[in-house]
Amino acid sequence: MRQLTTGPPRRRRLRGPLAVFAPSLNRRYVLTAYAFLIPAFAFFGLMFYLPIANIITNSFNTGPQANQFAGLENYTRAFEDASVQNSFTVTFIFGAATTIGAIVIGLALALLLNQPLRGRVVFRAALLVPYLTSVAIVGLLWRNILDPQLGILNRLLMDLGLPTQSWLNTHPLATIIAVTLWMTVGYTMVLFLAGLQGIPEQYHEAATVDGASPWQRFWRITLPLLAPTTLFVSVMAVISGLQAFGQAYIITGGGPANATDLYIFHVFNVAFTSRDFGYASALSFLLFIVIVIFTVIQLRVGRRNEVQY
Amino acid sequence: MRRGPTMTARIGSYGVLGVVGAITVLPLLYMGALSLQTEAETLSANPVLWPETPQFGNYAELFERAPFGNFIINSIVVTGGITVAHLVFDPLVGYVFAKFRFPLRNTLFIALLTTLMMPLFVRMIPLYVMMSNLGWLNSYQALIVPFLMDAFGIFLMRQFIQPIPDDLIQAARIDGASELRIYARVILPQVKPALAVLGLFTFVFQWNEFLWPLVATTTEDMRTIPVGLTLFNQEYFTLWHLTAAGSVILFVPTVLLFLFSQRYFVRGITLSGLK
Repeated sequence: MRQLTTGPPRRRRLRGPLAVFAPSLNRRYVLTAYAFLIPAFAFFGLMFYLPIANIITNSFNTGPQANQFAGLENYTRAFEDASVQNSFTVTFIFGAATTIGAIVIGLALALLLNQPLRGRVVFRAALLVPYLTSVAIVGLLWRNILDPQLGILNRLLMDLGLPTQSWLNTHPLATIIAVTLWMTVGYTMVLFLAGLQGIPEQYHEAATVDGASPWQRFWRITLPLLAPTTLFVSVMAVISGLQAFGQAYIITGGGPANATDLYIFHVFNVAFTSRDFGYASALSFLLFIVIVIFTVIQLRVGRRNEVQY
Repeated sequence: MRRGPTMTARIGSYGVLGVVGAITVLPLLYMGALSLQTEAETLSANPVLWPETPQFGNYAELFERAPFGNFIINSIVVTGGITVAHLVFDPLVGYVFAKFRFPLRNTLFIALLTTLMMPLFVRMIPLYVMMSNLGWLNSYQALIVPFLMDAFGIFLMRQFIQPIPDDLIQAARIDGASELRIYARVILPQVKPALAVLGLFTFVFQWNEFLWPLVATTTEDMRTIPVGLTLFNQEYFTLWHLTAAGSVILFVPTVLLFLFSQRYFVRGITLSGLK
């Protein structure tokens, strides 16, 4: 890894007698480059650009094969469809809550772990472990633990003399939000830890010498300098909030009464249960636009926020 | 040097970290305990933390009551195939973008990065139709081919290959080494840690992937473990001891990988911030 720090000259022309060969060599390198790239772009074209083109064209079609032209019908339907609006609201709340939770809890844990404590690595590992599990495990495990009759949680609550819960019925959306945070908060914590370690120590020292309290140092130094990390974490969290699927599919089945009908789960059912590919394509395209908007915001704001130490 | 935290702050920090650590780890340990309970114990209205007698036979029962052997083989073939493909293709394309000059290079690179805005869940319907038209549904091709390369992996490898001195490459060329040989002998050995990160992350994500195998497979014997687990759970109704045993089998490889290479994992997560 030593080479990472050396900065060699990028572009070096061949000098001396070899210079004669340079043009022909260059042409050969161009051909080599394309030879490597053509299969790669065939792949990205077929598996990424073509599907996006397909959802756009299919979104104007209807019928089981999505081959009858329907104009803007799918889109007008999407904007009037109460179940889509519900799903949109559910996903918005889910995305916002998981994003804010990931930032607040992740940052708090990172601040704790950024202290010179013994056993930091062990704690870091313990907090990161749920992130390594499949959403299938997370979903099934928590469905079991939270089960009002069979679940171990109610047994423990009873033993402690506390009232029992049936959160998946009474607060379904909040519950799957909490389960999602359980799974992902270790990841944001590690990102924040890296961000914190990138802040030069002198800033804190200088502020301490000037009599700044820890609270002031956090708001005036740590938080502003962490802005790029926070931005990245929020965009990642928003996008993973949008793509949450297993939580609804495995834990709640979208219920009760569609209270956890996450967007991808909704689109999945429109496509594979109702077999309405045209409408599902329109719904997918709307989601794609949302992702593009968030990515563009990230790029714009990210560039403005670049910190120079 | 920063002074360490005060005694109270230290105890408070340990307290909070201990509680959060318990919340993250204990449910997973409970999953292990659940996998050793009898069916009756899992269905009891008075659930227990630890079984009266650990039922290791649950793990054998898994293979009798569902094609769990198939699930495991499918998961290994699919995850292995995709991981190998990423390790072969991502650095190669990354190398071309890092070290070759050719017309349209920037345009192509942006076109590549743009695919990061096209996650699977936006493309799943047309991909499903494509796989269906190709007659690939319910096959390894359908599970592997859409994931052969990844723009982020390519980007990551390009970042690591760029700082390798051009002189090394030129020297090898003057010595008459072929382009592929230069790539294999000069470039790859320099980026081994990045390859480790790429391989680990690809493995863990694909091993845990749920949505696409659910969409692209139609018969039980083609499921991967994550999907197999849930179907199994629905079709046979709350057989929690088996669900938990299957979850343990799914979880153990990733947790072992993680424990033996925590450094690379943390590094990999940090690198994802490069995006």
